[in-house]
Amino acid sequence: MTTAEAILTAVTWWGVIGGIVAVVFLGYGIDRIDEDADGAFVFRPLLVPGIVVIWPLVLWRWYCLASGRDHWAHRHRPRRHRHRIFAYAMPIAIVAVIVAGLAVRQSWPDHIAPERLSPPAEDSQ
Amino acid sequence: MSRKETPFFVGYLPLPRGLGGFVALVSVALVALFAAAALLIGGTQDAPQDAAFRFDYGRQTVTGVVELTPYPLLRVTEGNDLIPPGKTLMMTAAGKSGVDMRAMGLEGKLAQVSGVVLERGTIDMIQLRGGRRGIQAAEGEAPAMQTEPLGRWRLAGEICDGKCLYGAMRPGRGLAHKACANLCIIGDVPPVFVTTQPVEGQDFMLITGPDGTRLPKEAYDFVGQFVTLEGDLERRGDVLVLRLDTPTIALVDG
Amino acid sequence: MSVKYVPVQWNRSKWVYDGIMLAAVVAFLYLFLYVTPELLSHENPINPQVHNARAFGACAFLMLTVILWIGPLARIDRRFLPLLYNRRHFGVMTTFVAITHAGYILNWYFAFSSSDKYAALLFANTSYGQLAGFPFEAFGIFALVCLVILAVTSHDFWLKFLTPPVWKALHALIYFAYVAVVAHVALGIMQDQQNHTFTVIFIGGALSVAGLHAWAAWHEDRNGDRLGTEEGGWVDICDARKIEEGRAHIKVLPNGERVAVFRHEGKLSAISNACAHQNGPLGEGRIIDCLVTCPWHGFQYDVRTGRSPAPFTEMVPTYTLRLSGNRVQVQVEANPPGTPVDPVEVPA
Repeated sequence: MTTAEAILTAVTWWGVIGGIVAVVFLGYGIDRIDEDADGAFVFRPLLVPGIVVIWPLVLWRWYCLASGRDHWAHRHRPRRHRHRIFAYAMPIAIVAVIVAGLAVRQSWPDHIAPERLSPPAEDSQ
Repeated sequence: MSRKETPFFVGYLPLPRGLGGFVALVSVALVALFAAAALLIGGTQDAPQDAAFRFDYGRQTVTGVVELTPYPLLRVTEGNDLIPPGKTLMMTAAGKSGVDMRAMGLEGKLAQVSGVVLERGTIDMIQLRGGRRGIQAAEGEAPAMQTEPLGRWRLAGEICDGKCLYGAMRPGRGLAHKACANLCIIGDVPPVFVTTQPVEGQDFMLITGPDGTRLPKEAYDFVGQFVTLEGDLERRGDVLVLRLDTPTIALVDG
Repeated sequence: MSVKYVPVQWNRSKWVYDGIMLAAVVAFLYLFLYVTPELLSHENPINPQVHNARAFGACAFLMLTVILWIGPLARIDRRFLPLLYNRRHFGVMTTFVAITHAGYILNWYFAFSSSDKYAALLFANTSYGQLAGFPFEAFGIFALVCLVILAVTSHDFWLKFLTPPVWKALHALIYFAYVAVVAHVALGIMQDQQNHTFTVIFIGGALSVAGLHAWAAWHEDRNGDRLGTEEGGWVDICDARKIEEGRAHIKVLPNGERVAVFRHEGKLSAISNACAHQNGPLGEGRIIDCLVTCPWHGFQYDVRTGRSPAPFTEMVPTYTLRLSGNRVQVQVEANPPGTPVDPVEVPA
C-alpha cells in the first residue's frame, strides 16, 4: 500500500513540476527558441499536456536550443538501422508473449474429484 | 520496382488518378473490418455466472446468531418466507467491505440484520445496510448452534471473493477479475472456494485461513486461478467452511 | 508545412481520412455497445461497465493493430502511403479510446473499496512473481502511458523542437506499447475466455502485425538503399544517365547518412534523403512544379538549394556533386542546410 502511495505521490509531483515548466516555457521560452511560435498562441494550450508528461526532455531541448548547442546535422540523421532492430525484435516479442500466455492458460479441472483425506477427529464438538 | 506506375499521393493535392479506387477499397475494407470485429468479439462473450443482487425481493430483515469464522456468518433463527430459520448467511457491507468490525462485539449473540440478498441458485449472502440499521443486537437468549466437522479434504477449484461470485459483478471470477477479487478480500468481503464437483451437496464454501484466521496473504497469489488445496471442512447450518492448510495450495497443471 | 503554428492544419485529405477512421471506430463501438447485448441475450447480462470496457478495449487493440499495419504496408506497397499521411490523428483517437477503456475498468474493478482507486490499481494484485495471475494491468498502464506520450507530442511543434530523430525515437515507444498490449490481453482476458472467437481474432491481429513488420524489414534488406563506395572523399552513386527525370537515386554514405541525387530538367542535384519535417525519404518522392516533394507529408524543397519555397522556412542539407565519366559522385560531407549547389549536367 505504501509503495502504491509513493508512486502516486511521485506522479503527482511530476505533474506539478511539469505544470510549472509548461507555464514558464509557453509564456517565456517558446518565443525565443522557435520563430514559428512567435505570435501564434492558439496552439499553445495543446502543448501543455506534452510538456507536463515529458518536461525533463523539454528542459534539455530548451537548454540545447537556447545555448546554441544544437547542431543542424542532428536533425537530418534518421536512425533507420534502429528501426530494423524494432522490426525484427517486435515480432519475436509478440510471438513469445502469446506462446507464454497460451502455455499458462488453465482449463477448469472438473476431472479432479473432491477427496476426503481423513474423517473428523473424535474429540471435536 | 513498380515505382513508375504507382500514382504519387500528396496530401494537400487532389487524389491522383488511379489511386482513388484503391483508397476507396481500403476505406470500405477498414470500416467493414471494424464492424465485423465488433460483432464477432462482442457477440461471442461468455455468459457470466448466473447470479445477481435481488433488489426485486425488497429489503430483508432477519434475526439469528452471529458466528465469526472470522468472516461473520448469521445462523438464522427468526426468518421469513425467503430466508427460513436454519439458513446460514454470509454477510457483507456495501462496496468492497465486510462487516467484521460491526459484527465483532456480537459473536455468539442474537442479532437482527437487514439488507438486500444476493442469489446464485440459492441465497447465501446478504449485503447489510449501513451502521446499526444493518446489524444490531437483538433481544433474547442465543440458542447454541451446531458446527459439524467433516474431516480433512483435498479439493480442486478457484478462490473467489464471495460477493462478486454471488453476482455483485458479472463476470465476477477468473484472472481478468483477480485484482478486484483481491481488493474485495483485502476489504474483508468473505472469500469463497468454488469446487469443481459438489462437496457434501455444495459447489462452494467459505474459505478461511487456519485456526480461525483470515485468508492468508500467500493465498492471494492464487486467487482466480485453478488450484488444488487441503483443509478441514465443517458445516455451519447450510454453509460449509473450509479451513485452508496454506502450504497445500498448488496450481492445477494445464 | 508550417509558417506559424496552428492547432491543426486541416485540408480535404485530412477531413476525409479522419472521417473514414471515425466511421470505422463509431461502427465498432455502436455495434459492440448496442447490438451485441441483444445477440448475447444472457440470463443475467454482463455488467454494462464490463461490457463497455471490453468494447473500448477491443476497439483500441484493433486501432493499434491497424496503425501498426500502415508503416510496413506503405514500405511494401506505396499505394498505402495515403494511410500514413494522417496516421497521427488516428493515433490520438486510439489514445482516447484506450483512456475510456481504462476509465471503465478503474471505476468498476478498482472502485467501491475504502482505498483510493488509483492506489488500489497498484496494490490490489502484486503477484509479480508469476506469469498466470500476473498483474496484467501493469502492462495496460505502461501501454497507456506510451500512448499518452505519443498523443501529447503529436503536434508538429514537437517534431521541430525535439528534432525529427529524437521525435521518431520517442515515437518508437509504439512498438513497446503494442507488445505490452499483447501481454495485457494474453495474461488477462485470454486466460478466461471459453469462447475462442476473441482469442483467434486477438492472436490473428497480433501475428499480422508481427508478420508484416518482419516482412517489411526483410523486404527492405533485399530492396533497400545500398551503401556507396567512397574514394578520396567522394562517394560513387550510379551512372548519371540512369536517373529518370523528376526522380532520384538514393545511396547510403559511409557515415550512415543517405543522399538523394535528383534529376531535374536534365541536371543533377544532391540533397539529404531526410526530410526536415519527419525525416521522410525525400529520394522516394518526386519533383512536382520544380520542387522535390516528400512522399510522407508533401513537404517541398528546391533541389538546387535544399530550401522550401517562401513563405516556408524548412531546409535540408545539400551535397556537392561531380561527374567522373558517366558516374555521378557526391562529396561525403553534407553542406549546411539550404546551401545552394550548382547542378551538374547529365552527360548525353
